[in-house]
Amino acid sequence: MYKKSFIYLMICMFSAVLVTAAEDNCMTCHADFEDDDGPSHMISKDVHIQKGLGCVDCHGGDASLDDMDDVRNSKGYKGVPSYREVPKFCASCHSDAAYMHEHNPAMPTDQFEKYKTSFHGKQLLKKGDTNVANCISCHSVHQINTAKLPHSSTHPLNITKTCGKCHSDSNLMGKYGLEATPVADYKESVHGQALFERGDLSAPTCNDCHGNHGAAPPGVTSLIAVCGTCHAVESELFNSSPHKEAYEENDFPMCMTCHSNHKILKPEDKWVGTEEPALCIECHSVDDGTKGIETAAGISVALKSLVKAHAEAQVVLDEAIEKGMATTDAEFSMKELQQSLIQTRTKLHSFNLDSVLPLAEQGMKQAAKVKETSAGLIEEFYFRRKGLGVTSLIFTILVIGLYLVIRKVEKK
Amino acid sequence: MSGEKSRRGFLEAALSGSALLAMVAVFYPIYKYITPPKLAEAKLSQLKLSFSRADIESEPKKAKYFKYGRSMGIIFLTETNELMALSATCTHLDCTVQHRPDLGIIWCSCHNGRYGMDGSNISGPPPRPLEPYQVKEVGETIFVSKGDS
Repeated sequence: MYKKSFIYLMICMFSAVLVTAAEDNCMTCHADFEDDDGPSHMISKDVHIQKGLGCVDCHGGDASLDDMDDVRNSKGYKGVPSYREVPKFCASCHSDAAYMHEHNPAMPTDQFEKYKTSFHGKQLLKKGDTNVANCISCHSVHQINTAKLPHSSTHPLNITKTCGKCHSDSNLMGKYGLEATPVADYKESVHGQALFERGDLSAPTCNDCHGNHGAAPPGVTSLIAVCGTCHAVESELFNSSPHKEAYEENDFPMCMTCHSNHKILKPEDKWVGTEEPALCIECHSVDDGTKGIETAAGISVALKSLVKAHAEAQVVLDEAIEKGMATTDAEFSMKELQQSLIQTRTKLHSFNLDSVLPLAEQGMKQAAKVKETSAGLIEEFYFRRKGLGVTSLIFTILVIGLYLVIRKVEKK
Repeated sequence: MSGEKSRRGFLEAALSGSALLAMVAVFYPIYKYITPPKLAEAKLSQLKLSFSRADIESEPKKAKYFKYGRSMGIIFLTETNELMALSATCTHLDCTVQHRPDLGIIWCSCHNGRYGMDGSNISGPPPRPLEPYQVKEVGETIFVSKGDS
């Protein structure tokens, strides 16, 4: 009984293997004639294969046939789509909510719709311009994967390389009147440094500001919303500031006017003020009929004073730490001071001196507290050292005195 | 003879004085050791807060900050009137977070980092959750501690 069952089981297993092998004819042939970077060799890292889909799920046809011509003539064969057809080709599954739900219920199905709104999509689909990106330009062809995987072309660390394939090509960009510098500029920016030098994957890269499938440059007015995704307080302050109306009237690109776009450098306090290299004087002058120069001067003085006090406090605190004193309180006050400095720098986006001054004054008081506490600790250190010296002297006198007494007693 | 006496007297006085000062040198550090230091030590097992639930309730954002060693904590009232405490230092770039009862979140204004009331990450750049403190109310007194200690 058991023997029969075993034989039956073995027959079933072999049949399954043979059927599977028969269905895998695409790989068998393609692996023979393709180079190492051909689809058959690369496909193992592709999410579609990992999810159990096969070649025919995209390319159609009957994979059980041995002859390639027979496959091409088989029912449902789609083959390789033209560059222009690729978005529609991918969308046949990716825009089908019911189908996608079977494989990845959390995945959006609006990529194609978004793509149609992008510059890339409009150029390709309406004008047939095959220089622009389609799905495979960014996702690769047979190594398509989730952006979470480090080898994925859409992983945050690889996005600049992916976009840079075209956007760093000056010949190609020149055709569209675009500069080929965004990627190089971004790498120098505070965001690029956070991403590549600190490995902070939350730092924004190309698609965080431009979108991905609906990629487009943010408009002049939407720029503040884009930056405000992370810099919420700054954007809120700016929107309530007198600059908002002035920028809109003059078509100035909100945040970008002072901070640039791709090469967003770490802001410096000297950018605010009434002398070079302050940015305020690029628009404001003493007789421009606004409070601009007066405000810039006031904010600059307050900020510079706070920065100076912060630096001085840090020096005294560092000395107390270096001397091994218990600096818990002073370090805590220093954190509060740092917070006040951040808040003051943030608040200047209100461009209102009355809003900035209270925070700067609060910071100045905290700096004075750090300095006072730390100086007290340093004083305590020297008091202890002097005490040790005096004690050592006393002990020395005591020892000498004892020696003299003992000698006198011995003489008697 | 009298010269010898005065020399001996001086020597003995000097010796006694030195011995007395030596005693002071020994006992002063002991006295300093047993009297509590001006600065609180960084390592704490439990902290008694200097304010009450009513003080937290009276704050516009229903939250107050407290010093826990070198760290800053935030204690706040949830919608269900429960007291919760978390580390107030954002795990992204060390800014101080705030309670946003209007949004039902803990919020870091520096880069719009959002945490749940339990310190878990909701959105934004923070890479890790905020460390929670345990809160214990004994009458009107609030104690906070880290872990089970």
